[in-house]
Amino acid sequence: MSDFLLQSLGSLLNGAVTTLGVTAGTLTLAIVIGAAFAAAQQLVRFPALHFAIAAYVEIFRNVPSLTYLFIVYFGLAYVGIRLSSLMAAILGLGLIGGAVLTDVFRAGLQAIPRDQHEAALALGLSPFQTFLLVIVPQARRICLPPLGNYAIGLVKDTSLVAAIAAPEIMFNARQIVNESFQAALVYGLAALVYLAITCSLGQVFKILERRAAY
Amino acid sequence: MIQFIATIADNFSDWGPRLFEASRYTLALTLSGFVFAFVFGLLLEFARTRQHLLPRHAAESAIFILRGVPILVVLYLLYFALPGVGIRFGSFTAGVIGLGLVHGAFIAEVLRAGLQAVPRGQWDSALSVGLSPFKAFRLVIFPQALRIVLPPILVAMIALLKDSSICALIAVNELTLASRAIMSETFLPLHIFVLTGLFYFSLAWPASLGVKLLERHLRSRAGKPARRKNLTGETDAAASTVSERISSQA
Repeated sequence: MSDFLLQSLGSLLNGAVTTLGVTAGTLTLAIVIGAAFAAAQQLVRFPALHFAIAAYVEIFRNVPSLTYLFIVYFGLAYVGIRLSSLMAAILGLGLIGGAVLTDVFRAGLQAIPRDQHEAALALGLSPFQTFLLVIVPQARRICLPPLGNYAIGLVKDTSLVAAIAAPEIMFNARQIVNESFQAALVYGLAALVYLAITCSLGQVFKILERRAAY
Repeated sequence: MIQFIATIADNFSDWGPRLFEASRYTLALTLSGFVFAFVFGLLLEFARTRQHLLPRHAAESAIFILRGVPILVVLYLLYFALPGVGIRFGSFTAGVIGLGLVHGAFIAEVLRAGLQAVPRGQWDSALSVGLSPFKAFRLVIFPQALRIVLPPILVAMIALLKDSSICALIAVNELTLASRAIMSETFLPLHIFVLTGLFYFSLAWPASLGVKLLERHLRSRAGKPARRKNLTGETDAAASTVSERISSQA
């Protein structure tokens, strides 16, 4: 019995490496997209671009992650773009995350009082310098808590990647259960592994927030 | 692109009815899951604010666990693990309970924030005019908190709609599972999943817009002016309806 437990735990921890990899890749892609689009909303005065970004955000926030994973994994393969399940997971979740973080970063940037812009411009900074040196450092502090919430939610969302056969925690758990029929034990163990990951991530963001505080 | 749309249009007479039928399951899952989640969230928040350690710790650990694990784990435990101890749910019931548990924990957090935003003096004065704690909560505290928590709770409902797609993995015959079934018959994955995405979008997007409008409405009318009137000793609209309701109760 304890042999079985150890074996299952090993396999789940193996899956946890994949889970963390997908999370890290997705988080990077989402932060890049979110930062780029939020910055574009602030700096570029071009209505078509604003409309395109708003449409992107709405389209990706109002459809389930699973549907996007299926579109990226099965749909793109249909038109000849064959992605591995890990790449499909990162691309699909990353595009959704980009929409979420565009909203988060936009809210953070808009929360900086107007006087900060005016004061920085009055000091002779260019609009771009104002944005980069005055606005962004302050907005970073505001964005950190929702970014942490997103990251923790993302860890949980990576479990959906099991549906496109990426060997992460839930996929491995499912396979062990199919062989051993120990559903309660294995899924309970999987829950503990997820709890450990989300808790530690929560602590990491707590430390980051404390460091970023005044 | 035109051919892509044409293929969808050609197949719509076959796919359409099946997807509409499946969206009824999605909606049923969402609504019953939401009712379950709201009641469960209220219960959790109620238990968490008790004096006794037992309900408080039970509620807090339940929230901690449910907020820390994916919905998929909860669904698998309900659907695959509970039969091992003799508790057997149908897939739809398991889906409703799973969605309700996870989102209930979230709603409990939202409720806590909303209830804490109602000033402590409201409790004191409601109790001092002779209301029982339950009536004070129902007639004074809850209506005020509801205005604060309504937008985030409706956002949770939209999230629940999206999460209902996960129930496909425990074989609830909703939109996502139906679209997978169609895919394996037709081998047109891009067409069918884009169409499914459109179905979800047409359910969730109007709701999102509605929440945004409601939020703006609540902020503009129920926000600052009411508070200013309170300071001058006048009663604002919300307060008078509360007192009316109390007097009609008495």
